[in-house]
Amino acid sequence: MTALFISMTLATGLLAGCGNSNSSDSTDSAKQNASETESDSEAAEAKTESTDETSSGDTYRVAYIARAQSDSFAAWLANEMLTAAEQYDNIALDVFDGQADDEKENAAIENAITNKYDAIIVQPNNGEAQRPYVEQIVDAGIIAITTNARIDGIEGASSVDADPYKQAAVNATLALEQVPENAKVVVLNGPSGNFHADERRKAWEAEFFEKRSDVEIVGEQIANWNKDEAVQYMEDWVSSTDQIDAIISMNDNMAAGALEVVAGKEGFEDILCYGVDGTAEACLLIEEGTMTATCLQSAIDLAELNMESVHKLLTGEETEINVDINEVLITQENASEYVKMYKERGLIEE
Amino acid sequence: MKTKSQKRNQIMEKYSIFIVLLVMIILCSILNENFLTPNNLSNIMKQLAVATILAYGAMLLIISGMLDLSSGAVLALSGVLSVSVYKSTGSLIIAFLAAILIGILCNLINAVMVTTFHTPPFIATLAMQTVARGIALLYTQGQNILQLGNYTVFGQGTIGPVPISIIFMIIITLIVWYILRHTRFGRSLYAIGGNEEASVASGIPVSKYKYIVFLINGILVGIAGVLFMSRVNAGLPNGAVGYEMEGLTAAIVGGTSFSGGVGTTMGTLAGAFIVGCLNNIMNLIGVDSYVQQIIKGVIIALSVMWDIHSKSKKTTKIILTEEIAQDS
Repeated sequence: MTALFISMTLATGLLAGCGNSNSSDSTDSAKQNASETESDSEAAEAKTESTDETSSGDTYRVAYIARAQSDSFAAWLANEMLTAAEQYDNIALDVFDGQADDEKENAAIENAITNKYDAIIVQPNNGEAQRPYVEQIVDAGIIAITTNARIDGIEGASSVDADPYKQAAVNATLALEQVPENAKVVVLNGPSGNFHADERRKAWEAEFFEKRSDVEIVGEQIANWNKDEAVQYMEDWVSSTDQIDAIISMNDNMAAGALEVVAGKEGFEDILCYGVDGTAEACLLIEEGTMTATCLQSAIDLAELNMESVHKLLTGEETEINVDINEVLITQENASEYVKMYKERGLIEE
Repeated sequence: MKTKSQKRNQIMEKYSIFIVLLVMIILCSILNENFLTPNNLSNIMKQLAVATILAYGAMLLIISGMLDLSSGAVLALSGVLSVSVYKSTGSLIIAFLAAILIGILCNLINAVMVTTFHTPPFIATLAMQTVARGIALLYTQGQNILQLGNYTVFGQGTIGPVPISIIFMIIITLIVWYILRHTRFGRSLYAIGGNEEASVASGIPVSKYKYIVFLINGILVGIAGVLFMSRVNAGLPNGAVGYEMEGLTAAIVGGTSFSGGVGTTMGTLAGAFIVGCLNNIMNLIGVDSYVQQIIKGVIIALSVMWDIHSKSKKTTKIILTEEIAQDS
């Protein structure tokens, strides 16, 4: 009885999952997709979203392995990937969740290879951990793209990324002019070993701190991209230091957390604050004058460039592509433009 | 007649965790002159509020022989739904009640799994952790909810000079202390955790009390959800990851025994303060992030070892069991 109950529960779960992700069975491709997915329970469990199938007989099946759907930027990118894929009649995109776990992400890549997708786009959780699996994609004769962040040096694989060094560098260049002499600053870092976190910190070191020896770092910690951790660190720094002239954060989430502590606090009215990502919250803070600048890492641009690249690779127009989206510096001068963009996408209320 | 040595040992047994805390406060104030400033002490308490409230839930469950690994995820779920309710209704009270309701609902399911279907609490609450986090992410599509307006009053507001989150923590501390120390229900939890079969035999309504403990935990997690989200001024579906461990750590450091039947409210409060002071002082003196993790682990282990070592065979469990016997 127990076995029967568990079997029924699992079967119901799998059917519910497939019903969600495969909305149409009108094409051969869709049928093939559904049957292959059902044959692999792990893939069925991990699969989160998919675009509608097209009526064309030449539909290319593309798998996108997201780093973690629980990460707000990764979730946004996954949604934009689906939106961008809808622009191509001959691309059917399935999204899988790596759940911020190397083991799960690697398993999702292996499953996608087994399921014979025409192309696999990987957003690595940890570049080096996924490297051998992306090499397996290439070895299987499947088109491979790494994105946000790229994994360098895989022969036959393409990449679409934003350059994290340049993203931080545009902020650092601005800060060179804005941060006052003998300033005291605090630094909030992303997770150790994360490519984007490390590159952004390197850019700040080379483009700002090495050029401004008068600036003193009075606090530096890893807040793991998290707003709540940044709140706690900033509270402690504000207690222990009379003067903080600037917050240098490797992403917007942590910058917003640190600003939350000093909002309206006497003595911190003119504090400067730099982030990266161009999130909706950061754009609002910049528009109202609380935050100084951020560099947009546009999920929309990344997704569109990914789909454009995968389309070119699938149709044979190109054999290998390595491209970056542009770094857009957002300051109070242009913030309203991006607030408007977020309002149109429903991420900021009117 | 007790000798002086016996009396001294008894005092050490009872107050060992507070002695650890006192030593830590003295050391911290020597290490950094800003440690004992009112502003910094207020910071420590604000930072502790959420973890302490979760710790009380964890303590009650552990005392009665159970466990909750879902509190961080349920906190996130109740928090984002509460934020969402506030944005829809504009009512702080309805939003606050919504968080508590979600906390209760999730813990009711935990209670059904554990008490009625005899699922091990570790497994049942682990399943709830996954489900609650999944619902929070599904509901928000992984995106933070912004523009919270007056909702931040819970986590950032003050009444006079005292932050509201600290007032919540104090009131909850008193209520939990009263329940545990001065009600038959509270004292029965020690008996249930100490020996469940004997408790059933002695007429304690074990299943009913287990349900109540989960429901109290649900209320506490719901309140923690409101304080957490309002403190960070956002509905974070991926927030509070690992917070169940913060609560468990405070409870365990505070002398709650994982084997059940042992633990006190004030001990848990002291445990939370030890962890909070440790985090605070390491940031104040600029200890590297990696070194912080090592120090934190070592000090937690040492304080618990010392606490356990300093206790004689005559533990709180026995003292309270005797009290129950006297009551009945």
